[in-house]
Amino acid sequence: MNKSRVSIVTALLTVAALTTALTGCNSNPPIATACSLPEGPNLDHAISAARFDLETGCEHQFDQYFQRLLTIAEGDPKKDNKTSFSEFLIWANEEGLLSKRQARETYTRYFGVKYVSLVSDYSVCDQTCPRQGEVMREMNKELVDKEQGLLKISADRREYYRANRLFQETELVLEATCEACGPIE
Amino acid sequence: MKITTIRDRENTQKFLRRLMSACLLFMPVAVQASSQTPTIKLFPTTVLEEIKHTGNVAAEMETGLQTVITRLDEQQTLYMESKCEGNEGDPGCEQIARQMGNSYLEMLTIMGDKLPEMETAVNSTSASLEKRIRRELGQKKTSWSLQELLVGEQSASGKNADRPVLRGRSGMRLSDRFHQYYKLVARSGGEVNSSLAVVASDIYLDMQETSSLIARTREEISRATLMEQLNQSFGTITPEMQEVVAGVKSILFGEEEALTPMTAPPASQPEQGYESPLKL
Repeated sequence: MNKSRVSIVTALLTVAALTTALTGCNSNPPIATACSLPEGPNLDHAISAARFDLETGCEHQFDQYFQRLLTIAEGDPKKDNKTSFSEFLIWANEEGLLSKRQARETYTRYFGVKYVSLVSDYSVCDQTCPRQGEVMREMNKELVDKEQGLLKISADRREYYRANRLFQETELVLEATCEACGPIE
Repeated sequence: MKITTIRDRENTQKFLRRLMSACLLFMPVAVQASSQTPTIKLFPTTVLEEIKHTGNVAAEMETGLQTVITRLDEQQTLYMESKCEGNEGDPGCEQIARQMGNSYLEMLTIMGDKLPEMETAVNSTSASLEKRIRRELGQKKTSWSLQELLVGEQSASGKNADRPVLRGRSGMRLSDRFHQYYKLVARSGGEVNSSLAVVASDIYLDMQETSSLIARTREEISRATLMEQLNQSFGTITPEMQEVVAGVKSILFGEEEALTPMTAPPASQPEQGYESPLKL
């Protein structure tokens, strides 16, 4: 009886040892058990935590992580935050989480004066006027993001003022230009 | 007896506001056009010549109207000081009311005489600007390059204060706004800049509205004249007429309104911020 019990224990130990050994040989990094969004008021710590999670299996939640970082940054608005987000997006591009274009557009959407909603390849009359209302709605949403990025996170009133002014001027000039372009055929 | 309708009054007042604005806009530009012709693409010589002509027509109309409006103002003061309100049966008050009615008719006549020429000039200028805006902004630019044009001048520090306050929504008097436009156009030299795109757009949209208003006013003048002639036979003035006079007075003699820009520039001094390599 004792002999058989010893055999069972030995077998279990062998299986456990083999499992451990196989796991150790696995070249893939361990997958994060839970993609928990960073907490706490410190943006640098939050970015470090986000980087770790995003490179260990949570990349599909990039948008949620980015939004969380924005929220955390709102708690300590300063101009340096722009640099932190720029570096974070450059890192995301280098890690293959974002294309260069996505990184640029994301940064500009929140921290730039220009509107990525206005990216286009064709003339105003041909491409923009037929969807003037939609373009203005998109710009309006982007202005809200710029308010968060420039004003609430970076405390950069001057740049936000410029973005706001640009919105108003674009609205006026587009209204006149589309009127001048004539009815959409 | 409310024969002269509210619509008459509103149309008249709106038209007069635009007329005064047009005078302030066109006259200085006309002077500028003769002394230094800019070569910018949005305001070429042909457009400036049309603006000059429109300015002359507007100036003539303004001169004619100012005399009769001053008289109307004096008559209204006399009417009020004589305590004629509620005392319309008094022969003296009736006489003042008739004189006011005559002045009012005279104002309508001047407008009726000058409006066709004014309408032609405004439409012609509007059409020229439309062509320029369509070509320079609508066909040559993408929405991205258009925004680059607009944002271009913003980055030059110290120029923001000179930028025009935008139309309509600002609550700014038209005349003040046009005065700003003139200053920008006059300063522009030979460059196409973002401010001029805004100015051209603003002038063009106002021209469109003015043109529409002139057309509606012309339709109303005949009816308003007939109604006032009927009024005359009853020897009284209407509250609407008094309001027209009050409105015209405020337009001509400039009761100041608060100049509230849409957005005020920040109080802090501009400083060189962080430039990300990601910035578009």
